[in-house]
Parts: sequence; C-alpha cells; structure tokens
Amino acid sequence: MTAVLARSDFIRAPLLVAARPAGFKEWYHFVVHRPGWRLLVNFSLTSEASRAGSPQLTPRVIVIAHDQQWTGAIERFDDSELDVSADLGVMTVGGNRMTVRPDGYRVVIDLPGHDVRGELDLTSVSRPFAVNNQPVGDGRVSWLFVPRLRADGWLRIGRQEIRLEGNVAYHDHNWGRFSWGGDFGWTWGTILPSGPDDPWSLVFQQMTDRRRLRCLYQALWVWRHDEPAAIFPPAAVQTGFRGMLGRAADCTLPPPMRLVLGGEASDVPERIEIAATRAGDVVHAEFRPQSYARLARPSEVHLDRSVVLCETNGTARVTGTINGENIDFVGAGVFELLNG
Amino acid sequence: MAEHVSSLLRRSVGHLEDEVPDSYRLVLEALGPLVVEVDVDGELFALRGGRRLEVADGPAGVAGARITTSRAAILDLLDAKVALDEAVQAGTVGVQGSLDDVLRAHDTLLAYVHAAVRAPSQPGLLEALRTGPP
Repeated sequence: MTAVLARSDFIRAPLLVAARPAGFKEWYHFVVHRPGWRLLVNFSLTSEASRAGSPQLTPRVIVIAHDQQWTGAIERFDDSELDVSADLGVMTVGGNRMTVRPDGYRVVIDLPGHDVRGELDLTSVSRPFAVNNQPVGDGRVSWLFVPRLRADGWLRIGRQEIRLEGNVAYHDHNWGRFSWGGDFGWTWGTILPSGPDDPWSLVFQQMTDRRRLRCLYQALWVWRHDEPAAIFPPAAVQTGFRGMLGRAADCTLPPPMRLVLGGEASDVPERIEIAATRAGDVVHAEFRPQSYARLARPSEVHLDRSVVLCETNGTARVTGTINGENIDFVGAGVFELLNG
Repeated sequence: MAEHVSSLLRRSVGHLEDEVPDSYRLVLEALGPLVVEVDVDGELFALRGGRRLEVADGPAGVAGARITTSRAAILDLLDAKVALDEAVQAGTVGVQGSLDDVLRAHDTLLAYVHAAVRAPSQPGLLEALRTGPP
C-alpha cells in the first residue's frame, strides 16, 4: 500500500478536542480472525470531566479474545499516561502503543494487571474508506475502515499464547461528538473469508434509533482484493434480524457492570441476514452469532442507565455476483451490536 | 494490615460526592431513611443517609436491612464471577429485612454501582479491597 493511511488515519483528538472538548470520542478498533480464534483490540479516548471539573481525555484499552469463549480486559488509564506523538501517528497509553504506519499499524499491548501482552503488525491489503459526519443521536461520528489487513505477531492472555502469521484482520477508526445513551443504536460487522486467498471482504453498518424501530442508515461495502468492488447504499440493502441467541454473554467488561446489567437475557439475534442488490450486483450474507461479550459503558444521558455493546463472533455465509464474478464463501464474522 | 471494608466504603462514598455529585445524590435518594447494617467477615458497620451518606463503625442499632457477606464474596461479585442472585442463593451474600427494605437496599446498591463506574477514583479502591485477606 501507499502512504494513504498515514495521511488519512491520524489521531484526531489533539486537534478536535482543543476546539470543543464536550462529548468528543475517538477509538481505533482492530479485529483479527484466526481459524477458531478471534481477537478484538480497541484504543479509545473519551473527553470526560476531571475531578476538578475541567475536560480531560480519558484513555482506555480493551483486549478481548475468543477461543472457546470470550475473555479479556478493559483498563482505564489516567490522562497523564496518554501521549500522542507530534505527527499524530502514535498513541501511547501506559505501556500500550498504537502506531499508524504508511502501510498499516503496529499495536503493542501491555496490560500486566490482567496478564495480557502482545505485539501485532497489521499490514493493509485493501484500500481504506471513510464515511464522514454520520448522525448518532444528537451528535455525529466519522469513521474510516480498512476492510482487510494481514495480521502477524503474538498475544498472550494468561497462560495462553497465540501466534499470528498471515491471518486476516479488520480495522476501523472512529471519531466525533455524541453521547453514549443517546437515541441511537448500531450494528457494525466485518466478514472475512477463512483463508487469505479468497479475495472478498465485506463490511456492514446499520444505524438505527435506540429502540431499533427506525433504520437511519445502512450500507454494505464489498471489497475484492485491495479495491472496492461494490458499495450498496441504504436503499439497496435489506437487513433482517431473526430470532434470539439463547445464551448468556461469555463475559461482561468492566466486570462490576454485571451487577447492574444482570445476567441471562440476550438481545443478540440468532442470525442476521443482509441482502443487497444494485445495478446487476447481488450479495446475500447470513451471519450466525455463536457467542458474545458485553462491553458496558455508563450512559451519558441517564445516570441510572448503561449502554451495552455486544461483540459477537460467528460464521458468515456469503453468496452473490459482482461485476459478473461469483462470490461463494463461508467465513468468519464479528458483529458489534449496540442496542441503546 | 488490610484496610477495613468500612473504611474503603467511607472513602468510596466520599469520592463519589466529589467526583460524581449528581450520581451521589441518586444514591442518597435511593437509600432514603433506610439504615443498612453490613457484616463483612465479622466486621460490622452501618450505612445511613440523610444529608450525606455516612458509614459508621459498629452495629447499626435499628437497621432496616442487614447484609452478611465476606470480602471474598464481594470480590467475586465485582469480578463478575457470580451474579448477585447466585450469591444470595449460594448463601455467600445474606440479606435480611422486610421486602420493602430489601428492595430499597438493592436499589441503593444499583445506584451506588452506577455512581462508582462513573468515578475515576474507584478502580484504585477496588485494588485496595483486593489487598485484604481472601
């Protein structure tokens, strides 16, 4: 790849928070697919009031992995442990570091309190795409995604060490001003083939109101090798959420939030069907969730509510035709569901 | 020597008052006139409201609800190893009182957790809780 990433995927917070800190959020999100194993890493910055009442950027690092079930950690750091390089390409949070390189990302994870360490080199093998100023409740969010990267490196969680060598990965970077707990929900999905040789990569997004009664935006992006093959806008996409996954979350992070969230009920569907048709191109994707982790955040709208992001892994079957080429593969999916 | 749980709770509610005053007020409202007596591994203290949340060492005198538990059971709950209903059913958390008072104590617990997860000081206090005897 070229230096597109270094030019477009730089850290926004130092520029945007100085102008208007209220409600600002930014996060770098990575999903790595290895056969039988998934990894999710998230570096985030949130503008919050300090103890003295002045705004500060609170950094958090989330690492969760799925082997037989999801497990992992979320750690909140003091703003004094945050450093952003002058070129806006390196975010250091305690011993953790995310570096935007011309051809991808280097992620160093060091959460000794949770016995989680790792080093990941994520090399872009597809062109990034940006979506600007999407409404989320009363705010807006912009995001950039890289549908497919090559992942190399290692991760150790407790006694388990996982080696990555040429595995497939997904990345998105989000920034904007909005309030957790506002009138919005979303479903965000990455689907990648099991093997690196299959050329197709899919990214799905649906934005709704908090009760999921109104779809505000949805799109399906399909990449072939490193280029966009088809972009299906809202009117070209139909999405169905069928049934309910009959199992409790594998884990809740941060763990104390289980006290307020309770335990058993799930609003993760049994399957998600996405049908997209446009100008002779047709894609059907069916994602079947297997298990999920709950990432909980305090609502910024209601002091007695929480916002839950369900990180769901599963298998995805994709069929269709784009530009006369057939798509037919069974791959891995990770979908994030935020249901208000 | 490990810091007493009553001391940690006293420091915790003090931080909530400073760091998240609106959430702190919701805890006060949830508790109302109820006095909760807590027994953690034999350490006895009471939580009462009014104008401020107060944690007093020793028995409560007249308590509307009484909670009996252990430091280990509290950590299991905070680490999400067990759910609250599971802990009550297993007997690692015991609750006594009238239904109204038990429900009020439960609402207060939820309000306290909602406040604590919004306050930056609380992870440090959780670590202090871990340094005690299991």
